[in-house]
Amino acid sequence: MGMKIALAGNPNCGKTTLFNALTGASQHVGNWPGVTVEKKEGKLRGHGDVIIQDLPGVYSLSPYTLEEVVTRDYLVTEQPDAILNIIDASNLERNLYLTTQLMELGLPVVIALNMMDVVRRQGGSIQSSALSQALGVPVVEISALKGENCVEAALEAVRAAKSRQAAKPVTFGEDIEHALEQIGTQVSGHCQPSHNRWYAVKLFERDARTELPLGQMAKDTIEAYIKTVEDAQDDDAESIITNARYECAAKLAHAAGREGKVHKLTGSDKIDQIVTNRWLGFPIFVGVMFLVYYLSISTVGTMMTDWVNDVLFGEIIPPAVEGWLASAATPEWLNGLVLDGIVAGVGSVLGFLPQMMVLFLCLAFLEDCGYMARIAFLMDRIFRRFGLSGKSFIPMLIGTGCGVPGIMASRTIENQRDRRMTVITTTFIPCSAKLPVIALIAGALFGGAWWVGPSAYFVGVAAIICSGIILKKTRLFVGDPAPFVMELPAYHWPSLKGVLRHMWERAVAFIKKAGTVIFLAVTLIWFLQTFNFRLEMVEQNESILASIGNVLAPIFAPLGWGDWRAAVAAISGLIAKENVVGTLGVLFGFAEVAEDGVEIWGTMQQVFTPVAAYSFLVFNLLCAPCFAAIGAVRRELGGKWTLIAVGYQCLLAYMVSLCIYQFGALLTGAASFGVGTVVAIIILVVFLYLLFRPQPKPESKLRRAAVKA
Amino acid sequence: MPLTFAKPGHTGVIQRILGKDEARRHLESLGFVVGAAVSVVAERGGNLILQIRDSRVALDRATASRILIS
Repeated sequence: MGMKIALAGNPNCGKTTLFNALTGASQHVGNWPGVTVEKKEGKLRGHGDVIIQDLPGVYSLSPYTLEEVVTRDYLVTEQPDAILNIIDASNLERNLYLTTQLMELGLPVVIALNMMDVVRRQGGSIQSSALSQALGVPVVEISALKGENCVEAALEAVRAAKSRQAAKPVTFGEDIEHALEQIGTQVSGHCQPSHNRWYAVKLFERDARTELPLGQMAKDTIEAYIKTVEDAQDDDAESIITNARYECAAKLAHAAGREGKVHKLTGSDKIDQIVTNRWLGFPIFVGVMFLVYYLSISTVGTMMTDWVNDVLFGEIIPPAVEGWLASAATPEWLNGLVLDGIVAGVGSVLGFLPQMMVLFLCLAFLEDCGYMARIAFLMDRIFRRFGLSGKSFIPMLIGTGCGVPGIMASRTIENQRDRRMTVITTTFIPCSAKLPVIALIAGALFGGAWWVGPSAYFVGVAAIICSGIILKKTRLFVGDPAPFVMELPAYHWPSLKGVLRHMWERAVAFIKKAGTVIFLAVTLIWFLQTFNFRLEMVEQNESILASIGNVLAPIFAPLGWGDWRAAVAAISGLIAKENVVGTLGVLFGFAEVAEDGVEIWGTMQQVFTPVAAYSFLVFNLLCAPCFAAIGAVRRELGGKWTLIAVGYQCLLAYMVSLCIYQFGALLTGAASFGVGTVVAIIILVVFLYLLFRPQPKPESKLRRAAVKA
Repeated sequence: MPLTFAKPGHTGVIQRILGKDEARRHLESLGFVVGAAVSVVAERGGNLILQIRDSRVALDRATASRILIS
C-alpha cells in the first residue's frame, strides 16, 4: 500500500524546493511567501510507493487566505501517514509556533531543519539533537537548495509513518491543560481518538470552523471550563492558546541553544533602504521593469531574433523545404500549406523565442532574488488609493510570465472583492505570449524603437490603476481594501542552475505550444485563407477567411485597422496570444518576402500606419486574454464573473484603442477632425468623469447611469 | 502608543492588539503577540517594515495603528 508524506511549514521556508529535490519534479519556486497555492503530489525518487505531498505554506492552522484553507483541510481531513515539517532555522520561534499545532494532529511528525547555513552565516547555532529531544520527534538538518540530506529526511518520515507513532503534543500551563483534559472527555466518542487533543484545543479556542455534534449540555460544560481559564488569566481563550504556544516555541528554541540575538543591519536591510526608499523606490521599480523589457525586446533578444527570422526562417529553412518539396514533386496545395502556412506561421512565432528567453531569464531572476515582496510593499501605497492592497501586485508580476499562474496567485488575497478585481485586471499586464506581438509591432512599424516594449508594460500598469479607480466606484467593488500584512523574505542571490532551469522550462513549454496549438491554428488559418466556400483554391481576398474577416473588419475600422487580416489576427489571439503573430505571418506571407531581409515586414506597413499599429498593439494587450487564461478566471471566480471580466476587458481595450487611434491620427495629420474624433472626445470625457467623480453614495441614479456608460 | 507613532529604529514591546478578527489572528500567527518585541526598520508614507522575532514583516498604516506598544 502506498504511503503519503505531507510537506508542511511556513510560507517561503523551502517546501517546494525540497519537494522538487525529493521527487525530481520542477514545480515553480520563488523567493516570496505564497508561491505555492495548490497542493501537488509526486513520487519519492527511488521509492515508488511513497507519495510526497507539497502544500501551500501556512503560518498557523487557523487559515487566513484561500490557499491556507487547502493546507488545513488536507492535514485535518485527508490525514497523510506522516508530516514532514520544514522549519526555517533562521526564524526558529515562529516556525516552531506552527510545529506546536502540527503535533496536535495525531500524526507522526518529522522535522527537517532547513537554512542552517543562514544561521551559521549570522554567527548562530542550533543543536538539532537537543531540539529533537525537547520535541520528542526526529530532527534532520537539511539544505533543500543544495539537496543535502533531503532523502534522509524523507526516509526518516517514512520510518515514522511505519511506526504509526503519533507526535506527542506540547503541553501548556497547568490550568489550560486541566481545561483541555475536561473538554477532551466531552469530545471523546465524537471524533477519532487520535484527534481528541486537536478538537479539544480548537473548541477551547472557540474556532468557528470546528464543529462536532455535541449536545447542549456538553457545550455548556465546555464553555464553563473555558470561562474559568479566561477569568483566571484575564484574556480571551484564543489569545491564551496563542501566547502559550509562543511560550512553548521560545522554550524549545532556548533548549535548542538558540539565544535571542542582537539584530544588526543585515545585507537585506541595506538593500531595502535603497529599493524601498521614499524617493528612489518607485523610480527603481520603473527602471527595473524598463530594463527587463528593453533587454528582451530591443537588445540581445532582438539580435538573435533577427537572425532566426532573417537567416534561419529566411535563408535556410524555406529554400531547403522548398527544394525538398520540389524533389518530392508534391502537389501545389501541399507546398502552400507547408511553406505559406506552417513555415510562415509557426516560424514567425518561433522566431521570437530568443527574445522570450531573455524575458524568462529576467523574470526568473526577479522572482528568485526577493525583490517581488518589496514591490508589493511599495505598490501598496499607490494601490491603496484606489482600493487594492499591495498584495494584488504579486499576481500582476507573475502575470508578466503567464496570466494563468498570475490569476491563480490571487488566492493569497484574503478579501473577496480585492481578489475579483485583481483577477479581472491581472491580464492587462503583457504576458510573455504577448511579447512576440509587441516585438513584431516594434520591429515592423517602429523600426525597433526602444520605447515600444517598455511602453506596452506601462500601458498595462496604467490600465490596472485606472480600472481600479473606476471599478472601485461601482456597486460591485465598493469597500475598503484588505489590510496589507506581508512577510519580506531575505534577499538571496539566485542560483544560476535554478534560474536557467526556470528559463529552459518556460522555453520548452513555449516550443511545445508552437508545435501543437499554434501549429493547428495556423494550419486552419492557412486553409481558410486559401480556399473559398466551394473548396476551390482562390486568391486570399476571395477566401473563406476574407469573407469572415470582412464582416468583422468594420468593427475595428474606428481603431485604425479595419483591414480584415488584422481583425482575424486579433480574434485568433484568443487561442493563444502568440497566434496573432502566427496569423499575421500566414496572411502577410512573411515566408515569401523573408528572403529580402530588409523588407521582411514590409507588406504590413502598407496596411498599418504607426498610429494604427500602436492601437492594434494596445487592443491586443488589453482585450480578453487567451482561452487558457479565461478558463483560469472561470475556475477562480465562476461563470458570471468571467463574463463580467471578459466584457470589461474587451470594452476597455476597444475604447482605449479608439482614443489612441483617433487622437493619434489627428495629431500626426493622418486624419482630419471627424465623427471618430467626436466619439473619442466623448469617450475621454466619460472616462475622466468615471476616474475623478467622487465616491458615489449607495443607490444613486447617477451612478447606475455612469456604470452603464 | 500605536506602532504608527514609533520612529524607525525604535524597539518596543507589544502591549495590546486592538480588534478581534481574522486579521488579528493572522498577525498573531506572524508573531505579533502581547509581550513580543518589535522594532521599526523603515517607514514609507505610514506603511511600516518591522522586525518581529527573526523576520521582516510589512504592514499598512491602518493595521499598524491597531498594534499598541510601550
